Amino acid sequence: MDKLKILHMYPAMLDLYGDSGNVEILSYRCKMRGIEVEVSKHDLGDKETDFTQYDIVYLGGGADFEQQLLADDLLALKDKVKEAYESGVYFLMICGGYQLMGQYYKDSNDKKIPGLGLFDYYTVASTNKRERCIGNIVVETELDGEKYKVIGFENHGGQTDNVTTPFGKVLAGNGNKFESSTEGYTEKNVTATYLHGPLLSKNPKLADHIISYCMERKTGEKYVPKEINDKLENDCRKQLFDRLLKN
Amino acid sequence: MSIKNALTIWVGKFLVKVLHLLGRDAGNAPGLFLWEINKDCLKAFKVDCPIIAVTGTNGKTSVTNYLNHIFDSTGKKIITNKQGNNLDTGITSLLLNNCDMKGRVKADYLVLEVDESHVPVIFSKLKLETLVLLNFFRDQLDRNGEVETLILKVKKFLETYEGNVVLNADDPNVSRLGLANPKNKNIYYFSVERYAGATDQPYEVGEGKFCPRCGAELKYDYYQYSHVGKFRCPKCDFGNVKPYVTAKNVKLDVPSVEFEGEEYKISHNSIYYVYNLSAVYTAASLYKFDKSVLHETFEKFEVNNGRLEKFSVDGSELLVNLAKNPVGANMTLRVMNEHQGEKELLFVLNDNLADGHDVSWIWDINFSVFNNVSRVVTSGTRAYDIAIRIKCSGYDPENIVVRPDLDEAMEEFFSTKGDKYAIANYTAIQPTRAAIKRYKAKKEGGTDGQA
Repeated sequence: MDKLKILHMYPAMLDLYGDSGNVEILSYRCKMRGIEVEVSKHDLGDKETDFTQYDIVYLGGGADFEQQLLADDLLALKDKVKEAYESGVYFLMICGGYQLMGQYYKDSNDKKIPGLGLFDYYTVASTNKRERCIGNIVVETELDGEKYKVIGFENHGGQTDNVTTPFGKVLAGNGNKFESSTEGYTEKNVTATYLHGPLLSKNPKLADHIISYCMERKTGEKYVPKEINDKLENDCRKQLFDRLLKN
Repeated sequence: MSIKNALTIWVGKFLVKVLHLLGRDAGNAPGLFLWEINKDCLKAFKVDCPIIAVTGTNGKTSVTNYLNHIFDSTGKKIITNKQGNNLDTGITSLLLNNCDMKGRVKADYLVLEVDESHVPVIFSKLKLETLVLLNFFRDQLDRNGEVETLILKVKKFLETYEGNVVLNADDPNVSRLGLANPKNKNIYYFSVERYAGATDQPYEVGEGKFCPRCGAELKYDYYQYSHVGKFRCPKCDFGNVKPYVTAKNVKLDVPSVEFEGEEYKISHNSIYYVYNLSAVYTAASLYKFDKSVLHETFEKFEVNNGRLEKFSVDGSELLVNLAKNPVGANMTLRVMNEHQGEKELLFVLNDNLADGHDVSWIWDINFSVFNNVSRVVTSGTRAYDIAIRIKCSGYDPENIVVRPDLDEAMEEFFSTKGDKYAIANYTAIQPTRAAIKRYKAKKEGGTDGQA
């Protein structure tokens, strides 16, 4: 039986807005294809984590308070995380997780939290805690050369700048900054985004894209995931596109 | 009385009159208007009786209704916001409707449900005698901000407050507030002894995993539900408090619970409900009620209004419960799973302003524990989202029926007979109750001869 290994980083601390659902969805969709999934944790203070042995590294979103608590721990892992990223491990990062992998995050208390520096972008939050990008969002991304609309919910004070390769084009909502045209950050083995929902719940093709990438990297062969019953997801997408993309 | 205060009351009274003449229910509008014209409008009221306020994420309405029932059954004149208008404007409207032209509010007690974030603003202007704090869970994050922000708001208020505080000792988010003002001697903790359904590992998502005093990870002996349980900070001993009231011998199969050596029969088999009753018991103790009143209340009183409300519909037995957040939903699922036979579930999910537009909280509900659930019907503006959530927990999508329209959902839900459970979120609960009643009237008042 094929097996994928997911590393869930700081699951107890980066766990806002049901983000852990992404791990549940990946596991569910793998299980339906007969792929076994093993989920491990990296918690604060773990010294032994070998990031290169995983297929997917996952980081969810967290509150400012938690992000501060784990910043030092994360920074100490820089070389190990970088090695995994360069070896092709898939990095899926939501909101706070997205911000922490950049150059820095200046939070709403004007406190600068250094990022891991894996990517060039940086994030600055307004010190007015009420100034946040909040609401439903639709982003158009590209998966294996095909356009795909991604639905989620954004809720972030941070404004992310210097994004070289965004995850997608904003069709409804804000994106990386207030009224931005772009959202998130992407590379062949990276999806970094502000989208909660959780992200993969209404975007099954994105989940399957990540699974296929990992399977192909593992086996060296093309992987086409078996169709599963996604009627609920498809109906949900239709309903929300009708509602959010009316104009 | 200052001219400004007098004017505030007169304008408010006039507005209520006009709205009544127009045939409108005054509701929140007069309060909203008074806050617009006078930020200190609450100071225009003269309240000489004690005020008891209940706040926390879950259970405010229930606990307020229970306290109200207890005070009321001893013949006291109570003013209360039973229906929940719990923001500053709602409380202002309530006082306006219950005062004379000089702003004097005549009652023996004010028993108020108050939104967590409105505690400081309301009670910086009205003198509070007793504050009951139930719990802090993640709730409507896009509307309320992070839980921590909310706790800090209440903490700041408590730093200078010297009245009674009734606190849940088993919720670290609440228990920590007992330290807010070291000078306050009127801190009354309540706790519930380990019950049969408690677990050694957390069973549902929780908040407050870290010590608010020193940041170390809290150690739990057991979890009653969510992050509520017996906890202690291994580093600074946070959590080591002496409860004023401890609920013992919780027997959910009876159901019953023991307070101060006396067994009380209760009307629902949920640990969450036992915590609510413990808060009620503790607050009531401060006002020295006869135990017989408490026995009668705990055994017979029902809040209904979508709080563990029972319906018999066309051969089916239905329990309906409001769930605004994961913990609330998990509680209903626990009650449902305690029931061993086959059953069906209806979940109504809306994403209106008062619900919070973000519905991702449903992913923090633990659905993996479904016990003998033969079918799920979903409804509401986000019927598909909750259906997907339940599917991804491993439940067969073939057994999920999506009916966004509530009346269609009822037709579907009651097309079979048996034991049923319904969960609805904030703006969904009243429409759901109404749809149930419509369906019941149609079926049972129809031509098939059933009464």
